[in-house]
Amino acid sequence: MTARGARPGAGSGGVSGSDLSTSRPGGRGANSSGRGPGRAMGSDGSPLGRVGPASRALVMFVMTLFAIYCLAPVWWLMVGATKPAGTLFTGNGFWFTDISLIENLQTLFAAQNGVFLAWLRNSLAYAVGGALVSTLISVMMGYALAKYPFPGRRAVFGVVLAAVFIPAPIFAIPLYLMFSGTGIINTFWSVFIPCTVSPFGVYLARIYAAESVPDEVIEAGRIDGARELRIFFQVAIKMMAPAMLTIFLFQFVAIWTNYLLPSLMLSNARLQPVTVGLIAWQQLRGNPIGYSTVVTGALVSVAPIVILFLSLQNFWSKGLAAGAIK
Amino acid sequence: MRFTRKAAAIAAGATALALCLAACGSGGKGTKGGATTKNGTPVSIVWWGWAPGYEEAAAAFNAAHTDVQLKFETISAGTQGGYDKMLTAVKAGNAPCLGQVGAETFTSFVAQGALEDVSEHLSGAADKFPEAAWKTVSLDKAIFGVPVDSGTMGLFYRADLFQQHGLAVPTTWDEFKAAGKKLHEADPTKYIANLPTDAYNYSGYAWQAGAAWFSAADDAWSVTIDSAENTKVADFWQSMVDEGIVSTFPSWDAALNAAWSDGTVLSEVGAVWTAGILESEAKASSGKWAVAPMPRWPGSDAVGNVGGSPNAVLKGCKNPKEAAAAALWLSTESASLEPMIAKGGLYPASTAGQALPIMKQGREFFGGQAIFEVFAQESAHVNPAWQWGPVMTVTSSALSDGLGKVGLKSGTIADALKGAQTKTVEEIEAQGYALK
Amino acid sequence: MTVLPIGGGTGGARGAARRQRPDPAVRRASRTAVRRALPFATPFLILFLAIYVIPICYSVYQSLFTVNRSGLGLTASEPKFTGLTNYARALNDPAFLGSLRRVLFIGAVQVPVMLLTALALALLIDAKVAPGTKIYRIIYFLPYALPGVIAGLMWSFLYAPTLSPVVRGLEAIGVDATFTSDAALPYSIMNILTWAWTGYNMIIIYSSLQSIPHDVVEAAALDGASKWKTAWSVKVPMVRPAIILTAVFSIIGTAQLYNEPVTMKAVAPNLSSDYTPIMSALKTLTSNYPYAATKAVLLAVLIGLCSAVFFRLTRQREPV
Repeated sequence: MTARGARPGAGSGGVSGSDLSTSRPGGRGANSSGRGPGRAMGSDGSPLGRVGPASRALVMFVMTLFAIYCLAPVWWLMVGATKPAGTLFTGNGFWFTDISLIENLQTLFAAQNGVFLAWLRNSLAYAVGGALVSTLISVMMGYALAKYPFPGRRAVFGVVLAAVFIPAPIFAIPLYLMFSGTGIINTFWSVFIPCTVSPFGVYLARIYAAESVPDEVIEAGRIDGARELRIFFQVAIKMMAPAMLTIFLFQFVAIWTNYLLPSLMLSNARLQPVTVGLIAWQQLRGNPIGYSTVVTGALVSVAPIVILFLSLQNFWSKGLAAGAIK
Repeated sequence: MRFTRKAAAIAAGATALALCLAACGSGGKGTKGGATTKNGTPVSIVWWGWAPGYEEAAAAFNAAHTDVQLKFETISAGTQGGYDKMLTAVKAGNAPCLGQVGAETFTSFVAQGALEDVSEHLSGAADKFPEAAWKTVSLDKAIFGVPVDSGTMGLFYRADLFQQHGLAVPTTWDEFKAAGKKLHEADPTKYIANLPTDAYNYSGYAWQAGAAWFSAADDAWSVTIDSAENTKVADFWQSMVDEGIVSTFPSWDAALNAAWSDGTVLSEVGAVWTAGILESEAKASSGKWAVAPMPRWPGSDAVGNVGGSPNAVLKGCKNPKEAAAAALWLSTESASLEPMIAKGGLYPASTAGQALPIMKQGREFFGGQAIFEVFAQESAHVNPAWQWGPVMTVTSSALSDGLGKVGLKSGTIADALKGAQTKTVEEIEAQGYALK
Repeated sequence: MTVLPIGGGTGGARGAARRQRPDPAVRRASRTAVRRALPFATPFLILFLAIYVIPICYSVYQSLFTVNRSGLGLTASEPKFTGLTNYARALNDPAFLGSLRRVLFIGAVQVPVMLLTALALALLIDAKVAPGTKIYRIIYFLPYALPGVIAGLMWSFLYAPTLSPVVRGLEAIGVDATFTSDAALPYSIMNILTWAWTGYNMIIIYSSLQSIPHDVVEAAALDGASKWKTAWSVKVPMVRPAIILTAVFSIIGTAQLYNEPVTMKAVAPNLSSDYTPIMSALKTLTSNYPYAATKAVLLAVLIGLCSAVFFRLTRQREPV
């Protein structure tokens, strides 16, 4: 996944992209007259009763089957994390034996002088910091592209968009050498700085800005004598808030799940994010860190992001479209 | 060596005193920063490695020294990313002073300019090691580090199961194969050994047979990974694979560990440090293992070797003198070697290390057998003619890739050797080395 | 930029019209626009230059050199300008070409399967035939939250011969399952990708379905179209842009395949160390940097070509 989500942009691609495609006035194929606030309720608000019970059973069967497919490995991970050290591969992998999650957690956080906690902290620092900065500068750039008709902006936008279509590892390879030459490599910044640039965020921000910030508001601000930055930070930014949350979330996920860039850049174990650290543990010769500990660590590393997902569930399903309701 | 404990106590006291002096000193005349720092705080040497026992060795060093302190950091094993990590750090100019660089990769590191010549700080050190061991860290007059252990090979086997199946401990490869056949016929779920999928683990078999992979003469490399001698070794193992006598679990994987533990795989012909791996990975079978000399080829008494890791001084080290001295201490002092031997099953390279009393002690995992005595005798038979190549990362990954396919019958060992030969030659030519 | 079929383009037409008659007022206006835009654009542009533009140029530059050693090569190497030599080598390197073919195969099989599944699930959820659609949505989306390496690690344990509970379970009922053989490997990787990304793509298509206006669907229903027919002939064409977008990002994602195979290597030693183009490039990163850069540049060009061709193809079939 990180390979796919590695570049901040790729991860954010779809959801918001589709959101955009539907939110644009006169979007392809959509009849603009039919677009009202109510459409977020679903394309056909048919009640459950209109299909026969056989069809409904079939649909439920298919949907449940896929749900099991999605959950099974995660279930295995959860069960595995509760198994006592050394019994990960014995017994039924999909059911609990002796629950020793607490012991596993203790081992996990004590291993190698508690480096795991440092990894979690690092992941959080890279993901929160990187996503915050990249959201802000993406929105500013997108706003500039949408609201100031400076010459050459189409060219600039084109170049930025082209970057969306090039996979992240391709940038990571030369960055590795450039950072090597400048001594940035193996520092916090070698991972943080690349995380702050999100061409896709700019793409999103540009369209959101064009739609949700009316020119009249900016003009009104100017008439009041406000300076451009002030108009942006006091008025426009609030109008773009839903868009910013979207950009932030996708960037957060992309950074949290990233592996390649930090694994290239960092040799200092104390600076690594949790993905790199866990894989390094798994690869240690002679497995001084047991498999149970690695599996427990994997579960713990996944937890924050799953919580983020579940707690923002309403936002994911409905809020995404909010940027469209002008 | 004998005064370790006392020295440690004194050292600890001295450290405390020094720290206090430094702290107190900085209050008074802190403006003359440079001199105070140099005299007051110890030189810190960062050391990267992955061998078991290194951490304890570093602690022992720190207890015995006040002026220099080691900071040990565990990294991934060299071929699993550790070497790339070191090279990255060297490029960035923030490499640790000391790094565990396997003998097999030493030449490649030298070729990449990643090591520091510390010959001026190690004059006289050569006398403390057998000539063969010292050869691994020196090139012409340059010296890049200090050898820690050697990788003399032996036969690790399940004494209980060998007995149960009425197998005699094989002394030749033919006997080994015959024993495997007998075992497998008696119980098709059991295997005499596992075919390594790790290029370096495999290399030991070639080494023993004198089937050279590289040689350097007249300022040019020659590559002979698919030579007739190598094909002979390959064919032998291939025949065992074809007949189902050996298993093909991935090297270093949990599946192999489990197979050692539960008696699916009865032996491992590997380097002495395999002892440490078995002890930590096959705990369940503790007490049931034993060690015998490596099976021989007809008409030869040669033994193979895998690995053995010197501590190298990496390029960019700001305190090469202290780093070299620390490396020498680590390889020759009992306080450092004892945990490496006890925990990691490392066989010390230094003459002093080999003479330690601990080397004569029995190990619980091996039913109380003093396994190092076997290796002490065997190390005299290690084939001295072996040369590693300049692009080992390419060579080893190509060979490992090929060996990985053997178990699934989608390739043969001979194919693997051919692949490694082709890719190595290609890389050597592309990088402009002279090739014969 | 013309490649994105769903591009915004609010100011495009106006901008183009203005460019054609440069009168002083317009020039003044554009100077003002530049002055105003600069504080907003500068932070991003500086970082974008540093992290995207310069590295790419640097890659291209580096790829024109070869590592040059002499004799036994025990001294440091000298880079030598050799033009396109590295490119010629890469295009004749069976290992690199093999990795490209492998990824092409994985993409060609996995992307359609995944997107069709995602589309079907999105339509089912959108049709609200079964209760509890919200829970299904969360469950399907969940794998996206797991880092690729963690997913790889997890599935590796489930694929591992002899140790995996799945393999042992199948063995118990008499099925001899091997997930790590040469032939099975691409499919095992595809499975991880499908597992991780179907829900994500489903959400994209679903939120696009959500915005289809009622009256369109109702009109179809009034015409007597069945639910299945409405889904196929009314809804699907309307979410085409979303499907195209997911397809393009999936293609790009497959091209940079790295995490899953790398973590699977522990249980599948037959998975070669240059299984995918990115793995192949990273392999020589420290020992032969220019060659690694060459492979990276070639991959970027190929992906650009693929995306362009894909957009061209899907656009020509546009009914409107």
